[in-house]
Amino acid sequence: MPKKVAAVAGGLTYFSKARKDKTQEELAAEAARMALFENDINLAKDDIDGTIVSYFSDHFEDQLLFGSIIQDYLGFNPKPSVRIEGGGATGGLAVRDAYAHVASGLLDVAMVIGFEKMSEVNTAKGNEFIALASDTDWDFPIGGFYSGYYALMARRHMEEFGTTEEQMAMVAVKNRNNAQHNKFAQTNPKMNPFAMKDGGKITVDDVLKSPYVSYPLKRLDICLMSDGAAVLILASEEKAKKITDTPIWITGTGAGTDAMRAGDRPRTVAGVPMLPHEKKEWYKKLEYPGVHSFRAGRESARQAYKMANITNPLKQLDVIELHDAYTSSEIQTYEDLGLTRYGQGGKLVEEGVTAIDGDLPVNPSGGLIGAMHAVGGTGVMQAVEMLWQLQGVSGKFHGSDKTQVKNAERGLIHSHAGTGTYVTATVMER
Amino acid sequence: MTEVYSIDPLIIKTPYEITYKHSYGKTSKFFTSLSSGKLMTTRCEHCKVTFLPPRADCPNCLGETKWIEISGKGTIHTVTTLYFSGERFLKDLPFQLVYVDLEGVDTLFLTRLKTKDMKKVEVGMKIKLRISKELEWRSSDVWAEPYE
Repeated sequence: MPKKVAAVAGGLTYFSKARKDKTQEELAAEAARMALFENDINLAKDDIDGTIVSYFSDHFEDQLLFGSIIQDYLGFNPKPSVRIEGGGATGGLAVRDAYAHVASGLLDVAMVIGFEKMSEVNTAKGNEFIALASDTDWDFPIGGFYSGYYALMARRHMEEFGTTEEQMAMVAVKNRNNAQHNKFAQTNPKMNPFAMKDGGKITVDDVLKSPYVSYPLKRLDICLMSDGAAVLILASEEKAKKITDTPIWITGTGAGTDAMRAGDRPRTVAGVPMLPHEKKEWYKKLEYPGVHSFRAGRESARQAYKMANITNPLKQLDVIELHDAYTSSEIQTYEDLGLTRYGQGGKLVEEGVTAIDGDLPVNPSGGLIGAMHAVGGTGVMQAVEMLWQLQGVSGKFHGSDKTQVKNAERGLIHSHAGTGTYVTATVMER
Repeated sequence: MTEVYSIDPLIIKTPYEITYKHSYGKTSKFFTSLSSGKLMTTRCEHCKVTFLPPRADCPNCLGETKWIEISGKGTIHTVTTLYFSGERFLKDLPFQLVYVDLEGVDTLFLTRLKTKDMKKVEVGMKIKLRISKELEWRSSDVWAEPYE
């Protein structure tokens, strides 16, 4: 049996298009300092038994083995450390790996250090580096680029289920406007000194009028590219109870995968892996996953729910931080996570279910669209956000009580790579 | 001489260039067949699955696949028009990408769509894969065009 594992502390940097003021390791130190010294914990730096270092690309900084620089800079030598990489899901995989290290007894107290500095190359080159995380023999040379891949999937979701650009725009508005109460958020110039100058609140009309990047996706449907870091500390049950009065337990975790080239995925009639609350007849004509849905997301959720005894996620979860790389993929992910039936994701946001004051708030932090996407930091940021939500201290860290989901007891974090190639889902609870 | 971008903080510019010698391995035949105007891909006879892009090994049974010729005719499964891209394709903008559902092929194939009227392109439209006359030995050597 794995040991019980709890999240006990977290730290974030201010996120920015370009944190020219600090190096990557200095950003990691900024987040680590917050995790160690600004959370209400009884833990010294020397009590950390080892680290899990989470970053995506060696290209952005032209530096291999950066994990070693981090380990040295934060003063953890000669303790164990490992670098985790899995595209956009790097952070989620790192949190899951840290869980495994602690649950197995390899480490009693583990620090997950997630970061990315994407600003040292221009945006088009940055997009190209990210596109290298698609098949470079086949999908990249034709002009492949992630917003294009997601646009193709979004267009198919529209064709299959009638999802609309207005529904996608509502996701952007929700997440961007949530971010206006999170001081770390890149789109929040009122609270974040490193924020973009043209941030602030947006409307559905603003999104619909923003220029197309790849039809149907417009500029405001697409996540940020960020510099920044996130640090999470996990501990075994015995240690966690000594470290904090409010440990947040990791009660379930799952990971799924799918083909690098989305076109290679099956289109199996009635092929949806079922969740406990679903009925076979809902999907008897649906070709699955095709390019409209993320089978890896479904599989990760199925495992995590089983482990955490969740049989009806919409009722049993109080808050979610999910990987909204695109507004369309947030809608697709609602369905993969079983918050609604396949095809109904657009309606879920339209009905306000996932709004900050809805039945199941999604991305109260602002997510990747409103807050940040510093790739290796992103999944770790989600875990830190969930820790603070479930401890009831989001307001203290965000600088505004408006992001705190009232009485949240159980939440889910969801981290997603490629066109849905690696996905993780992790359940955290009080 | 190092190019300095800013003094405080000190930011320097470092160019980077690299040439890879990349082998297409057993899928080389796809590219070499294009020079004789043929679209070749692989099929697993055991699993009865045809793959495009070709795979030398079947992911289902891990048996070796066989080469077959395909017509390249099919329909558009989904389409997008790009107005932004990675750095090396900025010069091509705007352009269209499609997943196409091809006769005799079980996977969907991602390719460019080239047409005179991008506004008329719809899901379900008939297309045929075309082969470049000047091969660059990249997947961009084939693309889809509307076909009646």
